[in-house]
Amino acid sequence: MHAETVQHDFEPKIVAFVCTWCTYAGADLAGTSRMQYPANVRVLKFPCTGRIDPVFIMRAFQKGADGVLVSGCHPGDCHYMAGNFHARRRFAAFRALLGFVGVDLARLQFSWVSAAEGGKWVEVVTDLTEKVRAMGPMPEFKELEHEEQWSGAVNTPELKEAYDSIN
Amino acid sequence: MNAKAQKIHAASIDPAYYQAVTEAIRLEAVKLLKDETVVAVVGYLPGRRRGTASPALVTTAEQAAQLIFSPACANNLSVYLTKAKKGVLKKGRVAIVAKGCDMRALAGLIGESQIKREDLHIIGVACAGVYGFDADRSQPVSAANIARKCRECTVHLPEGADVTAGSLTELSGLTPVEAQELARIEAMTPTERWAFWKAHFSRCIRCMACRQVCPFCYCEQCLCDKNRPQAVESSPRPAGNTAWHLVRAMHLAGRCGGCAECERVCPMDIPLNLLNRRMAKELKELYDYEATMTPQEKGPLTQYKEDDDQSFIK
Repeated sequence: MHAETVQHDFEPKIVAFVCTWCTYAGADLAGTSRMQYPANVRVLKFPCTGRIDPVFIMRAFQKGADGVLVSGCHPGDCHYMAGNFHARRRFAAFRALLGFVGVDLARLQFSWVSAAEGGKWVEVVTDLTEKVRAMGPMPEFKELEHEEQWSGAVNTPELKEAYDSIN
Repeated sequence: MNAKAQKIHAASIDPAYYQAVTEAIRLEAVKLLKDETVVAVVGYLPGRRRGTASPALVTTAEQAAQLIFSPACANNLSVYLTKAKKGVLKKGRVAIVAKGCDMRALAGLIGESQIKREDLHIIGVACAGVYGFDADRSQPVSAANIARKCRECTVHLPEGADVTAGSLTELSGLTPVEAQELARIEAMTPTERWAFWKAHFSRCIRCMACRQVCPFCYCEQCLCDKNRPQAVESSPRPAGNTAWHLVRAMHLAGRCGGCAECERVCPMDIPLNLLNRRMAKELKELYDYEATMTPQEKGPLTQYKEDDDQSFIK
């Protein structure tokens, strides 16, 4: 039985970077248990949260993600012993950096979801999707993608004429 | 040499002080080369114009007698010891002239196993400050033309050097311009901050001077130069520029020694050291880590504790 579908004005794109041992299995459990969660999330599987470079997160935003979720094993449960401990520090630093350049940190969610926590996966994804939906599309990085930088402003009639004649 | 600690008021940094340091460096460098303790000395020689200096590798006692230390000696020489500048140095022990901020870079490189302490003979300089990048060099260094990093310097006296030239311990009466700027940016709303950095990053011409001058950017293949797959767009457009500066700040987090060379060499005057300082501050608050003049085995992002803060994780 399907829940009634609601039409929204805005469907956010959420990219989820997950570790294969815990969160991916957790999401799989949610699926096999027939739990419903927003289809906005695109799951990308990694060996470990320690493999998830901050560059991936940045690139997701640049290429059109409105929200990013990073999820892996609970501390102490890492398949590679310490990958998520290292990731935790790296993400704390990266979060601070993004905050400092002016990115709204509500769009970036980190979580620990184990292979047994299908319910928690549904909850995390639903929360983030609804939060980002309320915030609207993320303009910052996407706008940058479409901008060009000129060494000087087109501020004289001659330059303006030359510029217009190009197009 | 290190006879008496002095306190100097910034309004009047005596040019004679730099002369005294110069003499001490020459004495030491000549001695080291004469008795063949080292094969070369990395130091500063006078530049061709007045009020300038250029980094130099000297191998003879005659050349060593020309070495100087002046307010123009801003370069962090430790970059010449890294593998990014491969071939600069021959085999053997090398002496290097290092200010306090350069000492932190040396300590960082030793900690990252890039250089060995026993291969170095560090001639520390008790530095009274260097010129800012846009300073009037016809005047002696003063509160008006001192570099921003020197205004808040906490490492005037290098620790752990083999020999120290000069004896100054602190400067006073300088306004912490950079800390004020950092506080101003942190007080902005996220939208204003984004606009601030967007304006700065958009001007970047991707000359990569910040990378080339950084002692910690010694990777033989930079992530940002790779194109299969491409992590960071290489053309000087706002998108790629922002990505580059974020990656740079992230890769230096917990490693940067705060020499502010990136900011000095930037032809577009992007305040890069603000990013470095912000990250250093964050890592100090979170993990109580600071770049120091003594080598540390591990940086804050290469170690962990089981009870690290995870309040931001669901």
